[in-house]
Amino acid sequence: MTISTMRLTGVAAACAFFSINAYAEDSSLTNPAISAVLDGYYQNTERPMSERVEGFGLGHTEVAMSANIDDMFYGKLTAVIEVHDGETELGLEEAFIQTMAMPYGLSMRAGRFLSDIGYLNNQHVHTDAFSDRPAAYRAFLGSHYFDDGLRVSYVAPTDLYWTMGAEAFKGDSMQAADEHGERDYKTIGVYTAFTKIGGDAGVNGSWQAGLSYLRNENGRMTAEEHDDHAAVQEEHDHSHSAQYTGENTYVADFVYKWAPNGNYKYQHLTLSGEYFRVTDFKPLEEGHDDHDEHDHDDAGKDYQDGWYLSGVYQFSPKWSAGVRYGQVDTQLMHDDHFDPQKLKETEVSLAWHHSHFSTVRLQYTNQQGTNFDGIEDDNVITLQYVMTLGAHGAHQF
Amino acid sequence: MRINSKQFLTGGLKALTLTLALGTANSAVAGLNIFACEPEYAALAKELAPDARIYSATTAMQDPHQVQARPSLIAKMRQADLAVCAGADLEIGWLPMLQMKSANAKVRSTDQGLFFAAEQIDTLDQMSSVDRSMGDVHAKGNPHLQFDPRRLLGVAEALTQKLAQIDADSAAEYKANFASFSERWSQAIPRWEEKAKPLQGKKVIAYHSSFKYLYNWLGLEQVADLEPKPGIPPSSSHLAGLLNRAKQGDILAIIIASYQSERGADWLGERADLPVIVLPMSVGGNDDSVDLFSLYDSAIDLLLAAQ
Repeated sequence: MTISTMRLTGVAAACAFFSINAYAEDSSLTNPAISAVLDGYYQNTERPMSERVEGFGLGHTEVAMSANIDDMFYGKLTAVIEVHDGETELGLEEAFIQTMAMPYGLSMRAGRFLSDIGYLNNQHVHTDAFSDRPAAYRAFLGSHYFDDGLRVSYVAPTDLYWTMGAEAFKGDSMQAADEHGERDYKTIGVYTAFTKIGGDAGVNGSWQAGLSYLRNENGRMTAEEHDDHAAVQEEHDHSHSAQYTGENTYVADFVYKWAPNGNYKYQHLTLSGEYFRVTDFKPLEEGHDDHDEHDHDDAGKDYQDGWYLSGVYQFSPKWSAGVRYGQVDTQLMHDDHFDPQKLKETEVSLAWHHSHFSTVRLQYTNQQGTNFDGIEDDNVITLQYVMTLGAHGAHQF
Repeated sequence: MRINSKQFLTGGLKALTLTLALGTANSAVAGLNIFACEPEYAALAKELAPDARIYSATTAMQDPHQVQARPSLIAKMRQADLAVCAGADLEIGWLPMLQMKSANAKVRSTDQGLFFAAEQIDTLDQMSSVDRSMGDVHAKGNPHLQFDPRRLLGVAEALTQKLAQIDADSAAEYKANFASFSERWSQAIPRWEEKAKPLQGKKVIAYHSSFKYLYNWLGLEQVADLEPKPGIPPSSSHLAGLLNRAKQGDILAIIIASYQSERGADWLGERADLPVIVLPMSVGGNDDSVDLFSLYDSAIDLLLAAQ
């Protein structure tokens, strides 16, 4: 149940992709927009639930191609090349078509794409101001949730931006662990619904706020066999999947951006925050009378949650700095009861941008954990570069 | 109740095709909704379609390269019948995203309600091959064409045709408005050229190629750029080099646009004893620039004052 990956002799394929890039400037009939993202880093230790390893490594090395297919459809393909334990894997992060000419502000997207829930999820990780997604994203969405499915969205014809949409996905990467190896997962596992509103606040500021709901048919855990310990932990290497799931996930998000006169060339500030709440994760009781007493005593919270707040200030065209605090409160199933876990991350980052297309970042993270992968008080330092070549990326809000 | 789904679908598709084909033929009653990417095109649209509801996505205080595809712009584009932009990839970082997120079929293609000014005329500085080591340059040429009066007149004529195409009922009105604009504009051109005669052959140091068309028209020469490469901010070593150049004593002034930082220019101006002129990048770039005519007057007056 990994994302559909295909092993290949990665270098040859990568070279083939990059050489195309030399003459990709503007997308047209014979010339789709082609871009590549190079992401490399050094890190002194690992963050839990993250794809980045200790030492030198490559992050999301990404090759994307997009163009209008005809006057109705737009298509995009994003391949991600990752190295895991010396093996080069080619994964597909996006392979979707989108309608461009439906009436009444409607649009549909089909294929593999990033879900539009929350604020950060529909953005590519290389545009983030920090080297990893907040802990809440890593715990509940497997860093960023992309999947095979269908989306219908609507934008209202109002001066206040108002969009709403619904998605249905296969949901493989959001499945709760199969304790007994005999679970019958539903083939359409995930449904989402979201709405966002936004606008300007004077000439300097802009804002957006959203609410999302994610229904995960396969998100509830099943009762664990008594000799089979902590299946969640075993999933550790499998970092694309959400490690803490439940049947219902609620997300609230906001972002506020500020720039003097609305001019993003020299200085701008981005404040953002999101809150996640995951419920209905505990196995359904199967009428074991002998457990009743125990369950009531030691049941713990019946939800898991997480949130983050982030502030990033670009104080000159070449330099930006960010501060982020985030935490997750999760529940780890252990035999017939749940142990509460907590992870708190305080992060600062400093980035140097030589141009619009190149970033070198130094990030420091302090992690305070309770019963969380053995983390008590850890410090993580990441030195990273993210550079894009080829077609100009989008300035997504 | 059963609906014949096949018939319903075919009917729906026909209606859809019709809507797409006719575009906004019936919107004349309510007045056109025009989304301008930059204020100069909002001003031009105002000359040609004064009754339209016109919205400018950017101001003259904002770098049009670095605009965010923010919610308010998506909401405005969602309602637009026509989007008027500079083109030549100036808006490449945000316009495609706005088009996708606004899900407005009317403004997705130049066959319909999308208009690029740079496609109507020959741009300056087109390049057969570009590479990012040259900075953030555009192969399709310089998109800041608002300060070339003859090219802008060509754009106005093409925009008139576009307006007539998407709002056929008011075509005569748009043509009459263009005739009036064209007459006033054509009278103003020799007046501006006469006034700006003393500027001919003068040398300036400027920021980016923002006023390339203005210099080209009035015969000024930009001998150096505050940016080492397009899109790369001035560095101290680059500024030191410019100071050496300025010491040759043949420079009239240092020129920056209303959205550009004065820091590098002020540093250089102080040491080289040169005036720093902030020219309005577009309508609204200073108090005097309220329309295209006063924009040109203001820019020329500011340059003349430096003498």
